[in-house]
Amino acid sequence: MATLDRSRIRDLMGEVLAARGGTLPADESTELRSLGFRSLDFSELALRVEDETGTELNFDAPGLRRIATVGDVLDFLQDLQAA
Amino acid sequence: MSADDLVPPSSVVLVSGGSRGLGLEIVGDLLGRGVAVAAFARTVTPELDALARKHTGRALVGPVDVTDREAVASFVRTVERELGVVDGLVNNAAVGQDSLHVHTSPDRVASIVTTNLTAPLLLTRLVVRRLLAAGRRGRIVNVTSICAQRGFPGLVTYAATKGAMEAATRALARELRDRVLVNCVAPGFFASEMSAVLGSTQLDQIVRRTPTGHLTEPDEVAPLVRMLLLEHTNVQGQVLTTDGGASI
Ligand SMILES: NC(=O)c1ccc[n+]([C@@H]2O[C@H](COP(=O)([O-])OP(=O)(O)OC[C@H]3O[C@@H](n4cnc5c(N)ncnc54)[C@H](OP(=O)(O)O)[C@@H]3O)[C@@H](O)[C@H]2O)c1
Repeated sequence: MATLDRSRIRDLMGEVLAARGGTLPADESTELRSLGFRSLDFSELALRVEDETGTELNFDAPGLRRIATVGDVLDFLQDLQAA
Repeated sequence: MSADDLVPPSSVVLVSGGSRGLGLEIVGDLLGRGVAVAAFARTVTPELDALARKHTGRALVGPVDVTDREAVASFVRTVERELGVVDGLVNNAAVGQDSLHVHTSPDRVASIVTTNLTAPLLLTRLVVRRLLAAGRRGRIVNVTSICAQRGFPGLVTYAATKGAMEAATRALARELRDRVLVNCVAPGFFASEMSAVLGSTQLDQIVRRTPTGHLTEPDEVAPLVRMLLLEHTNVQGQVLTTDGGASI
């Protein structure tokens, strides 16, 4: 199964934010709230990752609720691909 | 109107998903009122087993998957043999959901629909066929949810099944007229294994929006189920909501 590495997921996250007029900071501890990155932005990112890998990434919401920072998003999507 | 014209109180009640949570509460409540109760779930818990032992002769429990048609039919036959014709059914067994629709796998969508909608429709069909064949009257209570009436994220398929059960309840009530009373009890969120997925922030939010200031407890739902099964109320095809007024 094809997987995306952290830096590619980061690029895609940057694209999602740019489409909202934002920019992705280098600091992975940046809070998502301060970037205006909301749950549907996360869905959009996950679906973009799916598009590139050709594999569906389904997951429950409780895991999502623990995501607070840029680093959490990257970790979550990396872990999900590895699962 | 004489008592003979009314649907009598249920005397043998079958409860699906009676092993824990609300189902267990309903089983205990009905046994405590002297009703004969049969209950099943995929796993019989020690709590359900203890209730059955305490009320030997009036209780029957077994491990049955509600989606397994053969197993359900065989359990209903056993109940008939040991306790009598089922004249009360509580469709309580269900599985929850906590995932956005776009991130819920097609298999998961199908399995929620099978457990929460197809299975209770088929169990209802089976019980009503047995009842009518025996020339009897009866009562059915479908446990739905506030999610059938109000939108909550993460519960799309679950809400669809509960809304469908409420729609089916109205249609069945029209079909079965004065032979079988069919109603729903729709609880708001209560603490159980099913709602354990809700975060504390979400639960706090629900409590804040609830006029009575507390989440519904299973022992506040059981009396409504009991009333619909045992009292003469002329309630037919309705949804009784118990959510502390959160949805008003
Ligand atoms: N909790 C809430 O906030 C809430 C709110 C509104 C409405 N409700 C409704 O209330 C009812 C009871 O929910 P609860 O919170 O008490 O849930 P729960 O604690 O998860 O209990 C569900 C029961 O259903 C059984 N069950 C699940 N799948 C089954 C299957 N395939 N075959 C047979 N039994 C099955 C479970 O036993 P096994 O797993 O061993 O099979 C268990 O006995 C459900 O209809 C639910 O939709 C719940």
